[in-house]
Amino acid sequence: MSERKGDSRDREGLHLNRRSFLTGTVGMAGMLAVSACDWQAFVQQHFTRMSPEQIKDTLQRLEADYKAKYGKNFVVGAEGPIEGTLYGYALDIQRCIGCRKCVHACVEENNLTRDPEIQYIRVLRFENGTMDLEESDIYYDADRVPQEGYYYIPVQCQHCENSRCEQACPIGATWKEPDGIVVVDYNWCIGCRYCLAACPYMARWFNWTDPVIPEDKLNTDTHYLGNRPRMRNVMEKCTFCIHRVRKGLYPACVEACPVGARKFGNLLDPNSEISWILKNKRVFRLKEDLNTQPKFYYFFST
Amino acid sequence: MTENKRTGRNALFLAVVVTGAVAFFAWAGGLGAESAEPVPKALPGEGAEEFPAPFEPLPKTITPCRACHGPEKDFKINWTREEVLRVHTNIQLHHGGVRVWCLDCHSAKEREYLVPLSDGTPITFEHSYELCGKCHGTKYRDWRNGIHGKRIGYWNGPKTYHLCTHCHNPHRPLFRPIKPMPPPEKPRTPKTSDARH
Amino acid sequence: MRSGFVSGAIERLLKGPPLYYAWLAFLSVLVSVGVLAYAWQLKNGLVVTGMTSYVSWGLYIGNFTFLVGVAAAAVLLIIPAYLYDFGPIKEVVIVAEALAVSAILMVLMFVTADLGRPDRFWHLIPFLGMLNIPRSMLSWDLVVVNGYLVLSLTIAGYLLYKAYQRQEPNMSLILPFILLSIPWAVSIHTVTAFLYNGLPARPFWNASILAPRFLASAFCSGPALIILIYQIVRRYTKFHVTNEALFKIAELICYAMAINLFLLGAELFKEIYSDTLHLAPLKYLYSGLHGKDALVPWMWTALVFNVIAFLLFLVPTSRKNFKTLNLGCLLMIVGIWIEKGLGLVVPGFIPAPLGEVWEYAPTITEILVMVGIWGVGILVFTLLLKIIIPIETGEFTVDNQVTA
Repeated sequence: MSERKGDSRDREGLHLNRRSFLTGTVGMAGMLAVSACDWQAFVQQHFTRMSPEQIKDTLQRLEADYKAKYGKNFVVGAEGPIEGTLYGYALDIQRCIGCRKCVHACVEENNLTRDPEIQYIRVLRFENGTMDLEESDIYYDADRVPQEGYYYIPVQCQHCENSRCEQACPIGATWKEPDGIVVVDYNWCIGCRYCLAACPYMARWFNWTDPVIPEDKLNTDTHYLGNRPRMRNVMEKCTFCIHRVRKGLYPACVEACPVGARKFGNLLDPNSEISWILKNKRVFRLKEDLNTQPKFYYFFST
Repeated sequence: MTENKRTGRNALFLAVVVTGAVAFFAWAGGLGAESAEPVPKALPGEGAEEFPAPFEPLPKTITPCRACHGPEKDFKINWTREEVLRVHTNIQLHHGGVRVWCLDCHSAKEREYLVPLSDGTPITFEHSYELCGKCHGTKYRDWRNGIHGKRIGYWNGPKTYHLCTHCHNPHRPLFRPIKPMPPPEKPRTPKTSDARH
Repeated sequence: MRSGFVSGAIERLLKGPPLYYAWLAFLSVLVSVGVLAYAWQLKNGLVVTGMTSYVSWGLYIGNFTFLVGVAAAAVLLIIPAYLYDFGPIKEVVIVAEALAVSAILMVLMFVTADLGRPDRFWHLIPFLGMLNIPRSMLSWDLVVVNGYLVLSLTIAGYLLYKAYQRQEPNMSLILPFILLSIPWAVSIHTVTAFLYNGLPARPFWNASILAPRFLASAFCSGPALIILIYQIVRRYTKFHVTNEALFKIAELICYAMAINLFLLGAELFKEIYSDTLHLAPLKYLYSGLHGKDALVPWMWTALVFNVIAFLLFLVPTSRKNFKTLNLGCLLMIVGIWIEKGLGLVVPGFIPAPLGEVWEYAPTITEILVMVGIWGVGILVFTLLLKIIIPIETGEFTVDNQVTA
């Protein structure tokens, strides 16, 4: 491994010299100082404990911070749940061709970091005849998909009704909203990663370092609990595009799928597409024996 | 700037054509006979995103047929599959093999229509989905309920969806495999490179 | 009188034989290196560790688990001392309490080192923050661990205070606390086991055998450390510990290791014989999975160490021979550190929930932070002993505050 002096990305480049000592002590003091300087961020309460005025102030502060950092005018919303909704998702694995357009649409829509790379949606490729996860391949690369003899199952946060991550979090930084979306308060998370250990679907991701988003690809239409740019050392995950669905729009992955394999809607509405699927198609859910009660269904359209 | 203007104008034209087709369908849907299922309403405009349709939903001109067929000209037609396809050189037919041929869909007597419904109601090209639904009933039912095919827009409001021929070329309906997007990065571990995950 | 104690204590801490200074200097070096490494981690984020979203816990949490066991093991000595009034062990309790305090401090430091946002620590404080009791096992763990620290400090502080005052401790006052510390010590390690156990997403951990195994291995490693420490203390101070006490502790360790090995055997049987896909983590540990076998040599080493140590402790002649006794202790500590550290944490993540197999190896930064935290723990323990031992031997009491 080449020694690059002063390169903060070196994970083993610990130089025991005066420079690093100064860096070290400054770094330590700096971390505390930064929190102390940004005292508003330091004392910010849990999202569910804030009054509407406090939320408004927080959103304004965040918008100013993002403007200072990225040079763009962000809109950070905090739309509440639509009354009478419980979101459900269904994915047609008869149709999925494993093209990963959903993966990349999600990355762009949700301001996901490109380096290191985080992708909320993982597309598993299985050989026909088995659904053994250990035999699946996420890193398949092919000239054309679908490939002969394989099928594809994309996995993302299942927004469980009995979510293990919510149970695990020691400080309640992740919880299920009334409309069924499991969210994370990024400003409350202490980065212990217990929720990551608790999730059976590999749906939660940790920012091991500062996220990197290309400037021209920033999505400035954001939600406090959703796709606003995150910071290092906190958790994040799919939020069913909370900034879109609470305005009535489909999530980005639904719209990106070229074969229409992704369906989304209100489970409480008997006339919705998702209700029709649950009534008329054969559905299953992943790892149902764990009793997580996911709201992400898989079905076969033929 | 002009390049963008031209692209913009083409896009607008396509949008108008699609909108027209969709609006027609929405109106014509009320005329449909068979199912008691509520007709999904699609309104253009708000929330509708332009989706690059792989194929034109409608043929380039509605009545090219008159150029060769009709009262003025009357060819003695040898109605075999090979002969028809030999004459219509721009058509490669890969739809159901020998089970389906041109006149299973195209009306022999009235070229500007497709084969009619069983009660004699003609099927226009704008309502080609009615024809597809004759053989592909389950897909048609799924499509009416929003399960087959792509929809964009509002899950609780106006949506844009696509006709069969938006995605499937009727002469070659099977999707060709497409190039996938690249695989994810592998995490940094003792044995892989120092890509950070 | 209090000021006499404080000034006397400080004097005791600052004065000592050259070996003492050398030891403190050595520990200070370890601590400084750890501080630098931790500052590096704060500056760059947790990316400087070897952890990834696939194996998201590593060296820090492994050490945390091992040390909670060490802290809980102090109670193993209290049970015979106070419940069975076994005299020879009574004298060793106070040092065991000091070990417990140091171990708990290390536990708290390891957890803090592992946190992504330690600057948001106040979120963990009940009422001020939002502690997720009773649902989250991690919140419970923090409560019981901090409670155990307070309890140990109280008990040790009171007993010491009384010894300093040359008075007999009022057992009716302190005995309830001592008795409370027994289930509390069991609870800190059980809750730690539960925080692994309660995750159905990780079948390797989601086994009922985990909590008993934790306790059994804790009761091996903790007292083994105590045996070694007492011999060192006995050698360099006037503190007297009978051989009988040490051999008794060794006997207790023997039972604990027997249970530990039996439980390991039970786990191996269940997975190997049932031969389901859940065999994968054990396969990874002992023979490798899909070609990934970084931990295999470690696990076999740990197993061999544990078995040899068990035999050394089982046979009375080797148990009562200090050479073999000490060897057994060392083997046991290392074996259990491997088994309960990386050998517990890493296979829980392999394979990952969607079937991927990615390994983990700690980076230099992680190792240095670990070394630093151990340095702090040993330093605290040394300083505590520097005050405790003279009080226990009668050199440092209210009557004679002048150092010899």
